[in-house]
Amino acid sequence: MGSRASTLLREEEIEEIKKETGFSHSQITRLYSRFTSLDKGENGTLSREDFQRIPELAINPLGDRIINAFFPEGEDQVNFRGFMRTLAHFRPIEDNEKNKNPPTSEPLNSRTNKLLFAFRLYDLDRDDKISRDELLQVLRMMVGVNISDEQLGSIADRTIQEADTNGDNSISFSEFIKVLEKVDVEQKMSIRFLH
Amino acid sequence: MEALKEQVEEKKKLVATLRNKPWRMKRRLDVLKEAQDFVEKFEGALGKGKGRRLYAFKVMMAKKFIKFKRDFENFKTACIPWERKIKDVESHFGSSVASYFIFLRWMYGLNMVLFGLMFGLVILPEVLMGLPYGTIARKTVPRAEQDTAMDYSVLFDFEGYCKYSILFYGFYNNEKQIGLLKFRLPLSYLLVGVGIFGYSLMVVIRTMARNANEGGDGADEGDFTFSWKMFTSWDYLIGNPETADNKYASITTSFKESIVDEQENQKDENIHLRRFLRVLANFLILCCLGGSGYLIYFVVKRSQDFADMDNADLSWFEKNEVEFVMSLLGLVCPPLFETIAELEDYHPRIALKWQLARIFALFLGNLYTFLFALFDEVNEKLEREKIIKNETELALAHYYANYSSFYNTTDVPPPNVHPADAIRGPCWETGVGIEFVKLIVSDVQVSYLTILIGDFLRAVIVRFLNYCWCWDLEAGFPSYGEFDISGNVLGLIFNQGMIWMGAFYAPGLVGVNLLRLLSSMYYQCWAVMSCNVPHERVFKASRSNNFYMGLLLLVLFLSLLPVVYTIMTLSPSFDCGPFSGQEKMYDVVMQAIDQDLPAFIGNIFTYATNPGLIIPGVLLMVLALYYLNAVSEGYQQANTDLKKKMQAARDEEKNRRNNKDSTNQVMKDLEDLLPNKSLIPRPIEEEPPLDVEKVSKPTKTKPGSSGNGVNLQKEVSLAAPNPRGPVTHGPGPRGGPPLNTRGPQPGPARGRGRGGHPRR
Repeated sequence: MGSRASTLLREEEIEEIKKETGFSHSQITRLYSRFTSLDKGENGTLSREDFQRIPELAINPLGDRIINAFFPEGEDQVNFRGFMRTLAHFRPIEDNEKNKNPPTSEPLNSRTNKLLFAFRLYDLDRDDKISRDELLQVLRMMVGVNISDEQLGSIADRTIQEADTNGDNSISFSEFIKVLEKVDVEQKMSIRFLH
Repeated sequence: MEALKEQVEEKKKLVATLRNKPWRMKRRLDVLKEAQDFVEKFEGALGKGKGRRLYAFKVMMAKKFIKFKRDFENFKTACIPWERKIKDVESHFGSSVASYFIFLRWMYGLNMVLFGLMFGLVILPEVLMGLPYGTIARKTVPRAEQDTAMDYSVLFDFEGYCKYSILFYGFYNNEKQIGLLKFRLPLSYLLVGVGIFGYSLMVVIRTMARNANEGGDGADEGDFTFSWKMFTSWDYLIGNPETADNKYASITTSFKESIVDEQENQKDENIHLRRFLRVLANFLILCCLGGSGYLIYFVVKRSQDFADMDNADLSWFEKNEVEFVMSLLGLVCPPLFETIAELEDYHPRIALKWQLARIFALFLGNLYTFLFALFDEVNEKLEREKIIKNETELALAHYYANYSSFYNTTDVPPPNVHPADAIRGPCWETGVGIEFVKLIVSDVQVSYLTILIGDFLRAVIVRFLNYCWCWDLEAGFPSYGEFDISGNVLGLIFNQGMIWMGAFYAPGLVGVNLLRLLSSMYYQCWAVMSCNVPHERVFKASRSNNFYMGLLLLVLFLSLLPVVYTIMTLSPSFDCGPFSGQEKMYDVVMQAIDQDLPAFIGNIFTYATNPGLIIPGVLLMVLALYYLNAVSEGYQQANTDLKKKMQAARDEEKNRRNNKDSTNQVMKDLEDLLPNKSLIPRPIEEEPPLDVEKVSKPTKTKPGSSGNGVNLQKEVSLAAPNPRGPVTHGPGPRGGPPLNTRGPQPGPARGRGRGGHPRR
C-alpha cells in the first residue's frame, strides 16, 4: 500500500497540495493511502457511494450533507486534490503559523473558512442565506418524527429570531459567525491529523 | 520543528557576529548569555549537541507520562459504575429521570463507605476475636425456642437464629478488650455509631456546597439556546450505532425540554386568578394532610387499646390496622396531591418540588407513628427488664447462700448453667433493631411488587389487550406508566433515614441496605426502559441537586435525634450488647478516657465540658456564621452587578453592530416619526439594553407567530442612534434633551446618509 501510494502521487503534486492546504509531507502521504483505500473502483476518484461506506458517516443524520460538501458544484466525483481541499478545513490552527510568511489569502483552515464550511452544510441552494425551509429540513433530519411539525416550525422560527439581525428572516453568513462567536470552533472543528 | 531549527541557527549566527555589533559591553554580554542558554536548551531537541540523549530521554518520559495520565483518566471514567445505563435512561427519558438514578448511585457510594466502617471496625473484630456462637448466654438461642429456631417463618421474622447473630446488637459481648490486639470493642461500637452520622453529615454538606458552586454563569447561555442546539448538538465522533440512537433520542429530548422552558417564559399572566387557585390548592392539601395525621393518631390509639386486649380475640384486620392504614394513605394521597396541584399550573420543575415537599410531610406522619410505637415497646421492655434483673439477682443470691452453706466455703465458683438455659432479660435494643430490619425488608417487598404490578403487568395488559378492547388502551385510560420521580426519590431518602436510625441497633442493616440498593438499581433501570414512557412534558432537571440533598439533610437530623437520645438517656440492657453493665452507654467513653489515656487528657476533657467554656464557644460559632453569611451575600451581590454590566456591554455591542448594516426603510420611518427629524443620540443607547431585555422576557408572541416578534425586537433596537454621532463628537452630554445641544449637526448628515454612512 505504501509503495503504491508514493508511485501514484508525484512530488510536484505533493508540493502543490502542501502549499494550498498546509498539510505536511507525511500527512499528505498518509491521507493518500486512506483515499486509495476508500476508492473501491480504483479510478483515482471517489463517488458518493464510497463515502457512504464509512459507518460514522452513515449513522450521522447530517451525513449526506457532509458527503455533499466534498463534491464541487454539480459533480459526482472528487479527486484527491478536492478531497484534500475539503479536509484542509479541519486542520488545527497552529499559533506559530502566524509568524511565518503570512499567506496572501486566508489559509483554508482559518476560523472563517471553517465556519463557511459549516454554513454551506446548511445552506443547500448556495444563496448565502439559511432560510426557514432549510432549517426545517435540518431539524427534520436531526429529530425526525418525534417532534410535531408545528413545534419544529416554532423551533426554526425561534432560531431565526435569535440569530437574525437585519430582519430578512434568514441567517446570513455574518449572522452565523455572530451566533457561533462564543463556541470554540477552532477546537471543535479540528482533527489532529497525525504527523 | 522547522521553526525551532531556524531559531537555533539564528542564535548561533548571533553569537558568531556579536563582536561586530555596535553595542555596549553589558548588552553584548547579556545577549550572549541568552543566546548560549537558548542554543544549549534546544540543541538537544534537534538531535545535535551534547545534551541530546538526555533530552531525548526526557522527551520520551514526558510523552509516556502524558499517555499514562490520559489512560488513567480513561480508566477512572470507565470505572464509574452504571454510567452507560444511566446515559441510556437519560437519552430516552430526560435529565430529570436520570437525576434519580444518579442520586441512587451516590447513595450506593455512601452506603458502601458506611458498610466498610461498620464491617471493618465492629463486625469483623467480633467475628474474628470474640467468643463464638453458643459460648455465653447472649449468643445462644434460649432452650425454649430451640425447636423452632430454624423454621422459615421464624427466620423470616428475624427471630430464631437470626436474632442471635452478628446482625443485631444483642450478640456483641461487653468485654473491654478482646483478642490478641486488645481491641476495645464497646468503645469502637459507640464511636462507629456516632461516626456514621458524622461522616454522612460531612458528605451531604460537602455535596451541597459543591452543587451550589455550579450555579454558574447563566448569562452566556441565554442568548442563543436554540441556535446552538440546532447547529452544534450532533457529536461527530460517534461511531457506534447504538450510541447514535441514544444521541438522536437525547437531541430530541433536549429540544423538548427547551420548548417547555420557553413556554413557561411566555405564558399569559392572570395574576389574581392564579394566586387564588394556588391558595385554594394549598388549603385543600393542608386539609388532606391534617386528615391523614388525625387518622394515623386515631388508629395508633386504637392499636394501643387492642394491645391491652387478648390477642386471640382480634381479627386480622384489627391486628394489622396501623400498617394497613399507612399503606393506604401512602398509595392514595400522592396521586390526590398531584391532581390538586394541577390547579396551580407551575413549571414542571417547580411542581415537582412542591409535590416532593407535600409527600414528605405525609411520610413524616408515618415516621412519627412508627417511632411512637417503638418507644412504647422500649419502655415496656425496660419495665420487664427491671423485674427480671431482680429475679436473677435473687436467684444468684440463693445459689451462693446454698453453696456456701452446703460446702462451708466462701470461695464460690460461678453457677454452672448451660448458656441456653440461663435467664435472660428482654434485650430492647435487639428488639428495636429487629423492627427496623423488618421495616426495611417489607419496604423493599412493597416497592418491588408495586413496580412489578403497577408498571410491568400494566404494560403487558395494555400491550396485549389492546387488540381486543373497545377503546384504545395505549392512548386512553390506563396507557403506560410514567416514572414517578417524587415517589421514588422520597422512598430512597426515607429508606436512608431508617438505615441511619437502625444502624446503631443492627450493625448488619447497612449490609442489607447495600444489597437492596444494588438490586434496586438494576431492577429499576430495567423497569424504566421496558415499561415506562417519557413524561408528556419533559423538563430539564435543575442544575444543582440541592433540593434532594436538602431533604436528605433534614432526614439525617431527624434520624440523629432518636439515636442520640437513647445513647444519652436510656440505660442499656444489663445482659446483652457491648454496653451491658454500664449505667449509660456513653460511660464506655468516660472509662476509656480515665483508664487508657494519660491523665492530663482527662483533665483537658473535664475543663472542656465546663459550661463556662462551652457557652462562649457556641457564641463564637454563631458570630462566625453570621459573618460568613454576610460576606457571601456581598460576593453574590458583586457577582450580579458584574453580570449586569457584562450584559449591558454585550447589548451595546450588538446594537452598534446592528446599526452598521441597518435597513434603510426602518431608519427612514423612524426619522419621520420623530419631531425634530433627527435621531436621538447617545443617551438612548443606554436604554436599549434595558429595553431589549424587557422585550425579550414578557414577549406575548406565541412561537408560531414569531414573525411579528422579530420585527418588534428590531424596531426597539434600531431606535438606538447611529453610533457614529457620539463617536465623532466625543462623549456628549448625557440625559435629558440632548437634541437641543447636538441636534443640528448629526441631523442633516443622517438625513442624507441614511444612517449606514460611516462618517469617520
